[in-house]
Amino acid sequence: MDYIIDVKDLRKEFTSHSSRSGLKGAFRDLFTRNYTIKTAVDDISLQIRKGEMVGYIGENGAGKSTTIKMLTGILTPTSGEVRVNGMNPHKDREKFVRSIGVVFGQRSQLWWDIAVQESFRLLKKVYNVPDEFYNTHMADVIKTLAIEPLLDKPVRKLSLGQRMRCELAAALIHNPPLLFLDEPTIGLDVLVKLKIREFLKEINAKYGTTILLTTHDLSDIEALCERVIMLDEGKIIYDGALQQLRENWGEGKQIQFLFTEDVFMNELQELTKEHLVVWEQGTNASTWTASVENDEEIISAVIGKVVAAKRIADLKIVEITTEEIIRNIYEEGAVRNG
Amino acid sequence: MSYFSIFFQYAGQYLKTRLTYRADMAVEIFSDLLFQAVNLIFILVVFGHTSLLKGWSKDEMVFIYGFFLVPFAIFGAFFNIWDFTDRYIVKGEMDRILTRPIHSLFQIILERMELESLFGVVTGLAIMFYAGNNLGLSLHWYDPFIFLILVAGGALVYAGIFVTLASIGFWSDSRTDIMPMMYNIGNYGRYPVDIYNRIIRYVLTWILPFAFVGVYPAAYFLGREEWYIYAFITPLIGVIFFAISVFLWNIGVTKYRGAGN
Ligand SMILES: Nc1ncnc2c1ncn2[C@@H]1O[C@H](COP(=O)(O)OP(=O)(O)OP(=O)(O)O)[C@@H](O)[C@H]1O
Ligand SMILES: [Mg+2]
Repeated sequence: MDYIIDVKDLRKEFTSHSSRSGLKGAFRDLFTRNYTIKTAVDDISLQIRKGEMVGYIGENGAGKSTTIKMLTGILTPTSGEVRVNGMNPHKDREKFVRSIGVVFGQRSQLWWDIAVQESFRLLKKVYNVPDEFYNTHMADVIKTLAIEPLLDKPVRKLSLGQRMRCELAAALIHNPPLLFLDEPTIGLDVLVKLKIREFLKEINAKYGTTILLTTHDLSDIEALCERVIMLDEGKIIYDGALQQLRENWGEGKQIQFLFTEDVFMNELQELTKEHLVVWEQGTNASTWTASVENDEEIISAVIGKVVAAKRIADLKIVEITTEEIIRNIYEEGAVRNG
Repeated sequence: MSYFSIFFQYAGQYLKTRLTYRADMAVEIFSDLLFQAVNLIFILVVFGHTSLLKGWSKDEMVFIYGFFLVPFAIFGAFFNIWDFTDRYIVKGEMDRILTRPIHSLFQIILERMELESLFGVVTGLAIMFYAGNNLGLSLHWYDPFIFLILVAGGALVYAGIFVTLASIGFWSDSRTDIMPMMYNIGNYGRYPVDIYNRIIRYVLTWILPFAFVGVYPAAYFLGREEWYIYAFITPLIGVIFFAISVFLWNIGVTKYRGAGN
């Protein structure tokens, strides 16, 4: 049992009532209510070890936030077993939450009207953090996140990026061994994103903090996480190394040709008929993309054949991006095993 | 007790914030006082002509009103939960509360306290001294202690009823007018219950026991021995109703659904 998060067959259903129309409908609602059940998280199982940084991804409405809320003790699961930091988040909630930190990018955890450092002070009291530890640890956090100049401003006067850095600092006041981040980089500019990523890497290295984060920005995952868990309609459709995902799905390469004149599909197919090539036209008849297997010989052969027959103005070989891979997976709704 | 020190930290922060908006605070205290004055005038006018109503004199009625203000002020200072459903359930603010290591209800008390309301205690005491003086009441050495216990009981009755109502929000977040209605019903507690018919009296004693906020405990100080038994169970009723409400609240928290998108 050395897992810091250990979840088995976790499920969350939301029932929503729909009311019938009219007076007669309202009367009937009194006796039997129409309701629909929405399964937001559908019997998922997962295990996370201490010190891992795991990306939790999926389309809108896939159930990411709902999972995080169950792991942090905010929502009670419909069924299934959850153990986080060796505890059941729903029993002993008050003791449990001392061992985690939570940031919801969409919602502030700080008090709106009071200065950031006052918020920190209240949280310090709430978590009962000793002075010496607070002083050294927070000084470090404040410096790394560069929030010193923001400390005496009320939260409502901060920009989104400034606020998010303060939120992160607030979530770490008690130096929790486990950190949940739900879309921590939403709406932030590149520089702030980079700063936050650097910071997360640093605390992971320094304290071995385990981090589970959701995001729609795959560059966050690429920068931070070796492991991704992909969720679709409440089910886990992939759990493994990001590298593996790329190898299984991103094996192809694309060769982009810009010809000096218009070229026809059948000409190109004729030229490369010995190999498995998928030709796609670009913005006009002189730009074409060939998708081929990631094999040096094939790539060279295809380029050789085409260049020998047609004049080209430009040529580029691109790898399929993680973004595209993920999009393909979402579209197909399942991951090939291989 | 760490809850005590957390409480003082919050109260300190609250005062600090409030003092930076001194004008707001003055306006609030002033409107509070005005509100209480209007109520008092109402009592004086209505009961001014009839010197006796079901055996209660005007000064006794005023005394009961004064007593009522004290537990009500304490309730008002710490249990600002009339907009709980909107603020914490519909907007999903409860998420934040539930990720902190303090009991959720206590956190809401801390976040929503309105210490200005405590001015009502001063008004209430002033009214009681004025009416008590007219009535020629005398105090025993132990009366202040009994007063504290009865006030605590009354405030707990109020808190229990309103926490129970707020807990409903965990099950259903649809808009209802129950909260304002209950504030109105609460006001019945500041008149002697025997002026009402039997059913209302029963309700105000055992179902929505607002009579334990005003008339019953005040009867002790008025020396109305026929009501002593009610006066002395005030703390018990308060503790029972508050305990039930916290129990319901705790169940409610497990039903919390979060803000849907
Ligand atoms: N409180 C609620 N009541 C009813 N349905 C809900 C509630 N919360 C979430 N849902 C539903 O559960 C599903 C999963 O929602 P969830 O917020 O977990 O998705 P998500 O993966 O976090 O999406 P996003 O990327 O948009 O944040 C959605 O269909 C949503 O409508
Ligand atoms: Mg979400």
